[in-house]
Amino acid sequence: MSPIPNRVRELRTANEWTQAELADRLGVTRQTIISVETGKYEPSLGLAFKIAKVFERRIEEIFEAQ
Amino acid sequence: MLYILGMENPTLSVHPSSAARLVDGAIVAVWFASYIAARVIITNVPHGSAMAIGAAILPIVPTLVVLWRATLAIRGLDELHRRVHLEALAAAFVLTVLMLWTLGLLELAINLNRDNWSYRHVWAYMPLFYFLGLALAWRRYR
Repeated sequence: MSPIPNRVRELRTANEWTQAELADRLGVTRQTIISVETGKYEPSLGLAFKIAKVFERRIEEIFEAQ
Repeated sequence: MLYILGMENPTLSVHPSSAARLVDGAIVAVWFASYIAARVIITNVPHGSAMAIGAAILPIVPTLVVLWRATLAIRGLDELHRRVHLEALAAAFVLTVLMLWTLGLLELAINLNRDNWSYRHVWAYMPLFYFLGLALAWRRYR
C-alpha cells in the first residue's frame, strides 16, 4: 500500500502540538495519528473533517487526492 | 473489555478507567468460572438430569454479559482500532473455518485420534488465530 500524502505532521508541528495532544483534540488514539501522519492509514471523511477543523484549513489543503 | 481479551494494545489506545478494568476483569473471571463450574457439575450429576441440563446452559448469562461489554468496548474504539480488530476477526474466522474443514476431511481420510484432534479442539486455536490477525493488521498500519 503506497503512503497517502498529507500535511498532518507539518501542521501539527507548526502548531507545536504533540501527537498525543492532537489525538486528544480529535478524540482518537495516538496510534491513529501516527498511522495517518505516515500515510499508512487513510482517515474516514468524518475524521478528515475533524482534522481540517482543528487546523482551521480545508480538507484539500491537508490531504492530497490519489 | 478488549484489553482483557488481549484484543487491545493499552499503550496505543485510550485508557479505560481502573474501575472499568476491574469490572471487566471480574466479568471475564465469572465467565470462565461459569464454564468450569458447568463442566464440574455435568461430570458429577446423572447424564440427562435436569441439573446437568441446567449446568450446560449456565454459561449463557455470563457470555451475554461479556458480549455486551465487548460491544461497548468496540464502540469506544477509534476508527483505526475498529478496522484493525475487524481485520483480525476476519482472519480468525477464515482460519477457524480452514481448520474445521481440514480436520473434518482428515477424519474422513485417515484414522485421526479424536481425543487429540477434532472439532472440539478448534476453540482453543481461535484466540491464537485472532492474535495472528491482530499482528498482521497492526503490521500493516504501523
